[in-house]
Amino acid sequence: MTFAVEVNGRIRTVAIERTPREGQFRVSVDGHVHLIEAARVGASGLSLIVPEKGRASHDVEVLEGPATGEMTVRVGHDSFRAVVNGRRAVRADAGEQGVSGEQRIVSPMPGRVLRVMAAEGDQIGAGQPLIVVEAMKMENEFRSPKSGRVKHIGVREGMAVEAGRLLAIVE
Amino acid sequence: MKILVANRGEIAVRVMRACRDMGLACVAVYSDADRTSPHVRYADEAYPLGGDEPMASYLRIDKLIDIARRSGADAVHPGYGFVAENPAFAAACRDAGLTFIGPEADVIALMGSKTAARSAASRAGVPVVPGTDTPLDASISDGELGAVADRVGYPLLVKAVAGGGGKGMRTAPTSHDLPSAVRAARSEAGSSFGDSTIYFERRLERPRHIEIQLLGDEDGTIVPFVERECSIQRRHQKVIEESPSPVVDAALRRTMATAAAAVAREVGYTSAGTIEFLLDSDGRFYFLEMNTRLQVEHPVTEMVTGVDLVQWQIRIARGERLTLPVDAMIEPSGHAIECRIYAEDPEAGFMPSPGHIRTLREPSGPGIRDDSGVAAGFTVPIFYDSMISKLVAWGCDRPQALARMLRALGEYEIGGIRTTIPFFRWVLAQDDFKAGRFDTTYLDRVLAARNGQPFVEAAPLTEEIAVIGAALHGFLRGPAAGGRSESGPATAWVRTGRLEGLRR
Repeated sequence: MTFAVEVNGRIRTVAIERTPREGQFRVSVDGHVHLIEAARVGASGLSLIVPEKGRASHDVEVLEGPATGEMTVRVGHDSFRAVVNGRRAVRADAGEQGVSGEQRIVSPMPGRVLRVMAAEGDQIGAGQPLIVVEAMKMENEFRSPKSGRVKHIGVREGMAVEAGRLLAIVE
Repeated sequence: MKILVANRGEIAVRVMRACRDMGLACVAVYSDADRTSPHVRYADEAYPLGGDEPMASYLRIDKLIDIARRSGADAVHPGYGFVAENPAFAAACRDAGLTFIGPEADVIALMGSKTAARSAASRAGVPVVPGTDTPLDASISDGELGAVADRVGYPLLVKAVAGGGGKGMRTAPTSHDLPSAVRAARSEAGSSFGDSTIYFERRLERPRHIEIQLLGDEDGTIVPFVERECSIQRRHQKVIEESPSPVVDAALRRTMATAAAAVAREVGYTSAGTIEFLLDSDGRFYFLEMNTRLQVEHPVTEMVTGVDLVQWQIRIARGERLTLPVDAMIEPSGHAIECRIYAEDPEAGFMPSPGHIRTLREPSGPGIRDDSGVAAGFTVPIFYDSMISKLVAWGCDRPQALARMLRALGEYEIGGIRTTIPFFRWVLAQDDFKAGRFDTTYLDRVLAARNGQPFVEAAPLTEEIAVIGAALHGFLRGPAAGGRSESGPATAWVRTGRLEGLRR
């Protein structure tokens, strides 16, 4: 069975098949083959041992969500975001793709809208504050990633927002 | 005896643990968002406050007193934060015939005024940071303020008389900066504390924050403890505390403990309290303020002295006399360090990260203590402080305590939300930190210099294991995970599984 796994912006093709040995798998990552002993631990845990690497032991935990194929994979104390067989993940930080075109400003965390500092139709400059969301007694200011026109404001002052909520669109 | 804990989260659990150790019943209060909080599940009885925002829940003195009465509680422990330093709450408990586990209301009020506290320290013969001893209210003209500031000397700090936690505080490096610093401090003090009076304090260059925990009983006995080192601060908030300080020797320790006890005696202090000092690079120390409550960092003192400070608060409140061996309390046994675990994303500028905790594995093993207020399945609310746990490590010396802390941070797994654990792993690896070379400006300086580099950069091998783990998770979970079978057309069962996967 093959999977397309994206981690840190790179997609690798992973092919997995069982070996005759119970709990052992032949795992090919972009053509490089590893033998892996894998055991599930509860619903989200995986204990991996790599026999050919001095029986190196890796404590892995996979938490799925929120979208299908999206997961957080922890290896030891390092965490990775992975997408399995998904569309290429859209990067949240505009810096990677430049700031041309329509920009959607999304709250990365739940909270409460403290201030809305622009109205639909306003012309605004890059870096100009748009919306302040408060959570845990801390204020977080969301600024316009580009100069342009406010196409949409998705929230009102005082409103509770969930993580992923669209705050504004600048075009 | 039954004790109502007028707080939430980790400190409520900490206080209830002391109650249970003493065989006392404990009563929890909770907001709507905290219905399934560990402090509710841990308590013997639990009463709803209603509401979510602190103003509608944990700050409601009327509701807290009413619940104390209805539950038949004899005493109230306020924890820290919320109503802990509100003299009106201590007075309301007293008036309702309840024992307030803390100092007298008038002592809380006295030390809550930063200028009155400075005067008390001066009367006790303890040096204070050079500054003004009378509050400066709005009636004082800009010209007069400038003259007062010139006498204090620059650079100076403009601070709220009712302040704390870095709120209502601004720096004026020169006289040119004074008017805007005064305006900003007054405005923030007014909105945070309802009192816009300010005072001036000379800003010491790169001081260390050293504080002395103490206990006082109704007989007037004051017992000071070995110092805590709290210089690792981010934006005036402590994030790592230790005991003892890497730079305080036995002679300075004794001098500071004696000074702290003198201030407490001057105001007739009872219960647990802390005298905060600034220590300059020449070894001179200055009184900063007093906290009239238990502090977040109290466990490091408990770890190096073996004393349960919360139990002693309860014993003092019920009229017992302090029987601790005074000299032994300033002799640290080993070394302890605490990291405040916050639900914040260090890789995103310490942005709040409240939300649902899906998995939780707490560290343990030799020398580790985790005072936590969360559990798997609990949703960390957006309404309150972001601290979810205090992780404490003890070792026979500082290197062993640091090594154990680093090991425990590696064991600590909180799935579903972001926390400051990776940030602490980074701090503990810094040479200056390991060598004890730091002051209160250290952390903000090194963070600014990092320019947003990630705190954790995983090795390529680890990334490959993550890729393998993600794929194996899908493989072992079955075809619904969406793997493409190479053994011909999918069966109906597999197709159904895929559709379910899509619908999810």
